[in-house]
Amino acid sequence: MSGLDRIEVPRRNGELAFDEPWQARAFGLAAVLIRTRFDEDWEPFRTRLIAAIAADEARPYWESWTEALEDLLISTDLVSSDDLDALTPP
Amino acid sequence: MTTDHHHHPPEPAPIERRVAALEQLLTERGLVTPDLVDEVNRAYEEDIGPRNGAQVVARAWVDPEYKRRLLLDGTAAIAELGFGGAEGDHMQVVENTDAVHNVVVCTLCSCYPWPVLGLPPAWYKDPPYRARVVREPRVVLAEMGCRLDDDVEIAVWDSSAEQRYLVLPQRPAGTDDLTEEQLAELVTRDAMIGVARL
Repeated sequence: MSGLDRIEVPRRNGELAFDEPWQARAFGLAAVLIRTRFDEDWEPFRTRLIAAIAADEARPYWESWTEALEDLLISTDLVSSDDLDALTPP
Repeated sequence: MTTDHHHHPPEPAPIERRVAALEQLLTERGLVTPDLVDEVNRAYEEDIGPRNGAQVVARAWVDPEYKRRLLLDGTAAIAELGFGGAEGDHMQVVENTDAVHNVVVCTLCSCYPWPVLGLPPAWYKDPPYRARVVREPRVVLAEMGCRLDDDVEIAVWDSSAEQRYLVLPQRPAGTDDLTEEQLAELVTRDAMIGVARL
């Protein structure tokens, strides 16, 4: 039932959609890239987001979002997983 | 001193480092700029949100001809008021009546009509709402404070890439004297998703 008891009325122009700054960055990166590199076509991202959510329903939404974004960027050769791993050593 | 942990921010979580790494790589390659990302986020915080949808609803309440166009071709009628863009194609507006209450969900992910509602609230994206509102809409709506009489039919609309939905709530009684602007103030995001009544 998480979340269903937390109903907020919109303020200014809606509640903040992000709980933490990194979520806003993940959203903004996807929005900018899809506008500039994918001609505003969200479908390739959406199919990956659906897959990422289905793969792990318990994973927090914005982590699935980030997973989908990584997959889109790697599969279209905009970013390599080696480069990404190099920047995020365990 | 038991509270000095406030002065030592924890290490960033792996997901934070991952997103930061993505931004760094994309910036180095000239694919994004931090300013552009800021600009997108600011637009969704300040310009693109449920106040837009509220204007659409208020217009439909005061202008029967606009309402007719809105129900016929949501995308075009919403564009008349200047709203459109990412995730705003294929808009269908569904009208609440005394007999039918409409509610919107995206069972697979988080499809949502951004130009008129902004980004979806957390609960819209979470598994409990996505799964349960289809299975037991009356119960879920009641839990969210929206109690419907048993003789009101509930229509659940599952959003997709092909179709986005906006609920046209019923105009509250006793609002005959209000202007269109005042009416728009009454319209909430939750009423346009269909998890609340006005």
